[in-house]
Amino acid sequence: MVHEVRELELGERTSYSAGRLAVGEQSVRDLLRDPALAEVRLACAAPGDRVRIVGVLDAVQPCAKAPGGGGVFPGLLGPALPVGRGETHVLRGAAVLAAGYLPRAQEAIIDMSGPAAPLSPLGATCNLVVEFTPAEDAAWEDVDAALRRGLVTVAANLAEAALDAEPDAVEELPEPGSTANGKPRVAVVTNLQTQGKFKDVFVYGRSLSGGLPTVITPGELDDGAVVSGQYGHPALKNPTILHQTHPVVAALGANDELELAALVLCPEPVDQANKELVSAHAARLCAGLGLDAAIVTKEGGGNADADVTLKMDRLEEEGISAVGILGEMAGRDGTGPPLVVAPTKATAMVSTGNYDERMTLPACERALGRDRVALLDQPSTDELELPVAVIYCAQSTLGWGRLTCAETA
Amino acid sequence: MRIVHYVNQFFAGIGGEDAAGTGPELRDGALGPGRRLAALLGDEHEIVATAICGDDYAASHPEFAAELVSGARERGAEMVVAGPAFTSGRYGMACARIAAAASEAGLLGLAAMHPENPGLGEAAGTSVVESGAISRHMKDSLDGLAAATRKVATGEQLTAQDGRIGPVARTNRLAQRSAAERAVALVLTRLGGDRDATEIPLPDFDSVTPAAPISDAAEAVFALVTEGGFVPAGNPDRLESARASKWVRHSLDGLDSAESGTFESVHGGFSTQWANADPNRILPLDVAREMEREGAIGRLHGEYLGTTGNGTTVADARRFGMEWAAELRQANIQAVILTAT
Repeated sequence: MVHEVRELELGERTSYSAGRLAVGEQSVRDLLRDPALAEVRLACAAPGDRVRIVGVLDAVQPCAKAPGGGGVFPGLLGPALPVGRGETHVLRGAAVLAAGYLPRAQEAIIDMSGPAAPLSPLGATCNLVVEFTPAEDAAWEDVDAALRRGLVTVAANLAEAALDAEPDAVEELPEPGSTANGKPRVAVVTNLQTQGKFKDVFVYGRSLSGGLPTVITPGELDDGAVVSGQYGHPALKNPTILHQTHPVVAALGANDELELAALVLCPEPVDQANKELVSAHAARLCAGLGLDAAIVTKEGGGNADADVTLKMDRLEEEGISAVGILGEMAGRDGTGPPLVVAPTKATAMVSTGNYDERMTLPACERALGRDRVALLDQPSTDELELPVAVIYCAQSTLGWGRLTCAETA
Repeated sequence: MRIVHYVNQFFAGIGGEDAAGTGPELRDGALGPGRRLAALLGDEHEIVATAICGDDYAASHPEFAAELVSGARERGAEMVVAGPAFTSGRYGMACARIAAAASEAGLLGLAAMHPENPGLGEAAGTSVVESGAISRHMKDSLDGLAAATRKVATGEQLTAQDGRIGPVARTNRLAQRSAAERAVALVLTRLGGDRDATEIPLPDFDSVTPAAPISDAAEAVFALVTEGGFVPAGNPDRLESARASKWVRHSLDGLDSAESGTFESVHGGFSTQWANADPNRILPLDVAREMEREGAIGRLHGEYLGTTGNGTTVADARRFGMEWAAELRQANIQAVILTAT
């Protein structure tokens, strides 16, 4: 059940009607209340606003189930039990996001207007921005956990306002399974970063760290079974909203010639031996599912290339055609090697652009999240010259963006 | 056209590895291979001076290039031609850097080296023409360089047919469709039998042959180097926590151990909690000193070199490696322990 959001405003009480989402300021503040947070502030940032959001952490698409329909964000909001069936109401075009300082969080930027706006999925959504002041003596892990719980709680609460509204669209998610329609069977293999505190992604509220690949359904993603707590590599990150709306799953679902046969989630281990084990295991899993092809995505820079390219090679060895989606790290002038670890057997790769290329962000009127861009030691509202690497999700290999890279003619 | 030609200490006739620390200088007229190059260029172009620098000096002092280019300008040069550097890494890096520095200063720049020279990546888009692999191929290499010099002097771009080598710059742009849609299309292309289709050409990585083992650790000088974001507390050089553009060096003299509060890690790729509780676990100074006292190793070098290996481009990592190798060689180090995180 898709409810489009075209306008967002703060108000007395939360309501949704005809594309307009009003956010009850006090009630949302109450939902975010946590001993680890001394204060939270709410602001709206809509497409076209001359607003810059600095230090973006996670972003979540509001979603909810009608009473009796089960829960959303399992393992965080409700019990960690399988979800993904029945109707889910989503507020498309809206996002709840947190912005501010957390340790290990690299500075992520969203511009709501100007040349960087079209590069970020959050440049096109009406964003409810949560700024925060940690409680004195609160452990950073507790601040992080409070924000994560808070964002999904608010996201569910906002979507509940639309439960009675007539949906703008009703969409059916692809249901992977064994069909005998003769179409090539394709898997989406999605690597989740698993590098400990502030660099982890949660599946049913648990880290996949130390585990082996697992198979879930698009319905589970839609219901928020995967929630991000990963704040490194801004351009290459996959926030919760991109898992909820997984662009590769959507593109495969929309294609008549191919069958979405499985969705495989894999950890990205930090050591080579486990990268090889997980890659080989993922390929075996895909072979066992009788697949013809797989699209592999990653999160993070550098070593995460290996998690994609090793899987591509192992998949090819199993006779499965592998396509990887990768960001390039070709240096400021674009002449360096684009990948850190290249495949040796597979070759088919889609590029989400060069991480190191600089772009100029024009000065803006208002900044949310952080007052200064620490990377440059400049006020956040200044004109900034920055690498694409800091533009939030500009190169996400979940495939939302149109950014790519090619040889200069 | 007035040209300044760049050669290293060896081709300038100053000396071999023993003279690799020679600083930059300009000498009037052509020298060494430059004489033959001048003859090939004929009357149309003149080599007004030869720029010289030792390979180790050039590798560890990137500013040598701007310094020589500014000297070339003072002598009225309009173009800087460097090499041929064959497969010599430090020489190739120097040639690429001086050609790039010339371009940056508004002069024409051109370097010559073998396509496998690891210095090729430093040319930053400036023209590089292919040379042979070893100096025995000097004659053919100079013929190619002379032809390329004439073409570049006219303001034309070199092409692959002229022997142009090196990566062509890749630049960002917006595609018609999203990456997800393009990936689905690539699956169809692939299943249709096309095994070559890709948006990212496979990079060509060079491989490094490890040095021979040291014969006696008790006699060797050891250096500690790291990519663990290891810096003095407070990070005075502002070393980046990711995408490092530089490396740092700091003295270890008089220190027995890397104490918490004296050093820290600014690496952005892992939780630095335990590294900061005991910085020796990033740079094992405590154990190295113990081994030095026991006589298990000869001596520990008086400083460490360090950077952050997190989201670092291969091109930068390769450059740091070449610069470190030159530094360590100049310091007469026999063994290096690189701690990686």
